[in-house]
Amino acid sequence: MDVSLLVAQSMSGLSRGMMLFLIASGLSLIFGVMNILNFAHASLWLVGAYFCYSFWHLMQNHGFGMWVSIPLAALVLAAIGWVIEVVLIRRVYERELPEQLLLTYAMVLILGDLIKLTWGVEDKIIVRPPLVDGPVFFYGIPFDSYFIFVISIGFFVAIGLWWFLKKTKYGHIVRAAVFSREMVSALGIPIPRIYTGVFVLGIFIAGLAGAVQAPVGSITLGMDMAIVVQAFCVVVIGGFGSLLGTLVGSIIVGEVYAFSILFWPQGALVLIFIVTAVILIVRPWGLFGTPMRV
Amino acid sequence: MEILTKRYWWLGLVFIGALVLPLVVGEFWVHVAIEILILGLFAVSFNMIFGNMGQLSFGHAAYYGVGAYATGLLMVRASVPLPICLAASMVAAGICALILGYFCVRLTGIYFAILTLAFGQLLYYIIFQWYSFTRGDDGLQGIIPPGALFSATYYYYFTLFIVTGALIAMWYVNESPFGYTMRAIRENADRTRFIGINVRRYMLINFVVAGMFAGLAGGLWGPFNRSIAPDLCNWHQSGIPVFMTVIGGPLGFFGPMIGSIIYTFLMAFVTGFTEYWPLTIGLVIMFVVLFLPGGVLGLVEQKMKVFRSRDLETRGDRSAETGSS
Repeated sequence: MDVSLLVAQSMSGLSRGMMLFLIASGLSLIFGVMNILNFAHASLWLVGAYFCYSFWHLMQNHGFGMWVSIPLAALVLAAIGWVIEVVLIRRVYERELPEQLLLTYAMVLILGDLIKLTWGVEDKIIVRPPLVDGPVFFYGIPFDSYFIFVISIGFFVAIGLWWFLKKTKYGHIVRAAVFSREMVSALGIPIPRIYTGVFVLGIFIAGLAGAVQAPVGSITLGMDMAIVVQAFCVVVIGGFGSLLGTLVGSIIVGEVYAFSILFWPQGALVLIFIVTAVILIVRPWGLFGTPMRV
Repeated sequence: MEILTKRYWWLGLVFIGALVLPLVVGEFWVHVAIEILILGLFAVSFNMIFGNMGQLSFGHAAYYGVGAYATGLLMVRASVPLPICLAASMVAAGICALILGYFCVRLTGIYFAILTLAFGQLLYYIIFQWYSFTRGDDGLQGIIPPGALFSATYYYYFTLFIVTGALIAMWYVNESPFGYTMRAIRENADRTRFIGINVRRYMLINFVVAGMFAGLAGGLWGPFNRSIAPDLCNWHQSGIPVFMTVIGGPLGFFGPMIGSIIYTFLMAFVTGFTEYWPLTIGLVIMFVVLFLPGGVLGLVEQKMKVFRSRDLETRGDRSAETGSS
């Protein structure tokens, strides 16, 4: 067990964590503001990956193909998110938790089959452009250069979200809505528009994450199923509605996974759920969340 | 008792109908009927937590899966007689529910849902990874029901009697002072605590009883399907009783059973000509959630007041509000 292996493994964990962060940040934002737990978040993430593949497939003869496909896929997902919010989610704002959960769960099933209908059952592979293909060396330790791209996208989104929530007027409104919808709406701010905006932003990030995930390996049906529960774990560990918490939670889950693969491969996922359960039991609001109105 | 016979005479008819069913339909539909009974038992046990206690468990399949594995392992590895296996399934699932439920009942609402989901996935991955004991994702094959039960018709009768017995037992729990206490906790846990009831202990007992019956349902599944796989534990399987309960209606005792009939029939019918069953059931659930809160039973109650009983009114017609924390 030498140091370079540990460093490489921690980088791989960080990259996995950043991918989880990209999914979980939208999940946490949507839950924090709208109080809706979006089961379909990872399904939309997968749709983003498939869209990225389709755009890349159209432009595969050009070197810039993948770089253009990723933002395009994210934008398409934002549009899909807008339609879903306006047509479906808006109808269940006032409903109880189980019905909201079931609606988004129904979306998981529907999206899964729609993906199968649209893209078929074969795995899709995106050939990476030379810039992010192959390893780069730091002090002789090899890193997958695409991991570095994933990690930087993750940090970029984290900083962007932080800036949006803390420094802009709309961010302030969104944060206010986390604490009291009634108060925000009493100030004359249209809550449904805020909700739509937050949902579209969350799905945009999920689409971006899916598009970024697409070139990591092959894109397969059902990839969303395992990741969505892990994203829930991240949100629980970090605390609902806390951006910093989601970031820390993602890195914890990513690193726990990466290192247990090294030392105790069978236990990797078991360990994540144990951590989540312990956090839920001793500190249900998570590491960085505040005890919520229940 | 007189009121009971007057109000529930139709149950006798349903039971007689269930008895003659294998005589009038082919083997395929007998299989469907067995599935309806097993999944219906699973869904009714889930509704002890959802309808009675007002908490959404998204990990109920864990107890179903533990029950299935208890029976499966005992039959394949030790050739234990089926009735003892089923009892063992209930005990194993009950023990799991006791340990995990101890933590779950400390939380409510969304936290309860996520903790049950996390525990469910935990058990799923344990079963999945513990290859030497459970054979991991290869599953367990060759769970052959003993003797005459090998034929679908006899296994159907066996299942029918066990499920009927379990339903009667759950019905008694439901109508006992314990059941009313559960509904009091659902309506207002604080007030129930103030009149001197140990809310957590009651919730835990309820959770364990629900887990035991889920385990029984799981135990029945293995010999019916001849094999089991870790998928029986994962969160998709946990979604099934939720769907059934929401389709049928969570407030009536038989709502989940009606949901199971609709769900399983639909599945048998739809999978006959398309592989896109998830799409179909997804659309059905979306329709029910958006336009039919209260489920089919709720709709029936609204349209014809025949089924409406005084009992249901005292429970409160809050079909849209069940599960609030």
